[in-house]
Amino acid sequence: MSVVSEQCKYQNKLIDTIANKKVITPDDVLRIPNITDTYLCSPEANIFEIDFTKFKIRDLESGAVLFEIAKPSSDSNDESDNKIVETEEAIDPNAGRFVRYQFTPQFLKLKMVGATVEFTVGSRPVNRFRMIERHFYRDKLLKTFDFEFGFCIPYSKNTCEHIYEFPNLPPELITEMIASPFETRSDSFYFVDDCLIMHNKADYAYNGGLTA
Amino acid sequence: MGFLTVLRKMKQKEKEMRILMLGLDNAGKTTILKRFNGEEIDTISPTLGFNIKTLEHRDYKLNMWDVGGQKSLRSYWRNYFECTDGLIWVVDSADKRRLEDCMTELHKLLKEERLAGATLLVFANKQDLPGAFPAEDLKNILELDKIKTHHWKIVWCSAVTGENLLNGIDWLIDDIAARIFTLD
Repeated sequence: MSVVSEQCKYQNKLIDTIANKKVITPDDVLRIPNITDTYLCSPEANIFEIDFTKFKIRDLESGAVLFEIAKPSSDSNDESDNKIVETEEAIDPNAGRFVRYQFTPQFLKLKMVGATVEFTVGSRPVNRFRMIERHFYRDKLLKTFDFEFGFCIPYSKNTCEHIYEFPNLPPELITEMIASPFETRSDSFYFVDDCLIMHNKADYAYNGGLTA
Repeated sequence: MGFLTVLRKMKQKEKEMRILMLGLDNAGKTTILKRFNGEEIDTISPTLGFNIKTLEHRDYKLNMWDVGGQKSLRSYWRNYFECTDGLIWVVDSADKRRLEDCMTELHKLLKEERLAGATLLVFANKQDLPGAFPAEDLKNILELDKIKTHHWKIVWCSAVTGENLLNGIDWLIDDIAARIFTLD
């Protein structure tokens, strides 16, 4: 018990220290041993107007698209659509920074998947754009993605697909993850010139189609 | 971290290859990238930025970059040269009107210092179209024999049918591997 609370104290202190820094670097977030409680930057830190417009996951073996979500394009004239977005933003300023995924248990049995993101960039050129994404089940780190996109052209629309072998998880852990919806979580940190400009979060359930 | 771990890490890192795919707009760069990775190719629109794929192929980690080829985007190509091991130049073999433009842009690229260490693969794409120049003809039209600074090869292909894509990419990987990983 005391060991756990000591560890928590240490972790909270580490996150406090990091959150109070003016500039948060890749090294800072790579040192964090768990999912963060808070967002480590404000939505306004994204001065480059980088906007994620699509996420897609496909199974390389069957070719099937398992998940796809796209933002309606901003030039859409549908008034009712716009209204919904506005109310959501009024309620929660972090609404656009969090995604909840609901998968079936089969998802954890995939061998090879491709995860695509599509994003647009505003009027300023972006230098050394880098993503660090960390996936945890409770406090266990499952996978880290660390990828540098590099330069992004002003007003560009870009895509990136990481095709990777699904981490080989022990069967007991898989059972536990299925039984504990939304305790698998991820932090996605985005840097420009080594400075944190965006922080998104997601959580995952793998009990879709099962009755509780 | 032990010495062996460090060594293994270095080796892992060495097995990474960065491949840059360029060419005029509408040459078929994105279609090649998607076809090579088993993705649908029926909804491709002009690339107004880049498309990246990271994947494992034959034990190598390939980072493939496809950057838009429209005239307004070409001045940004140089931002993607750094650390490139392989350059794929994609040609629309049926677009006779623009072959001269195609040749000029290619030879301009090959003068770039930061691409000096890259192997060049020229894909003579769209061989499924009637009136497409064969690769042998394109070799002369694009004056490829003048290239003395880079290892190069021209390979015919069709991104739409997928024919010969793998041959071309495997040659590129073998050539890069022979140049950089010879110490293994």
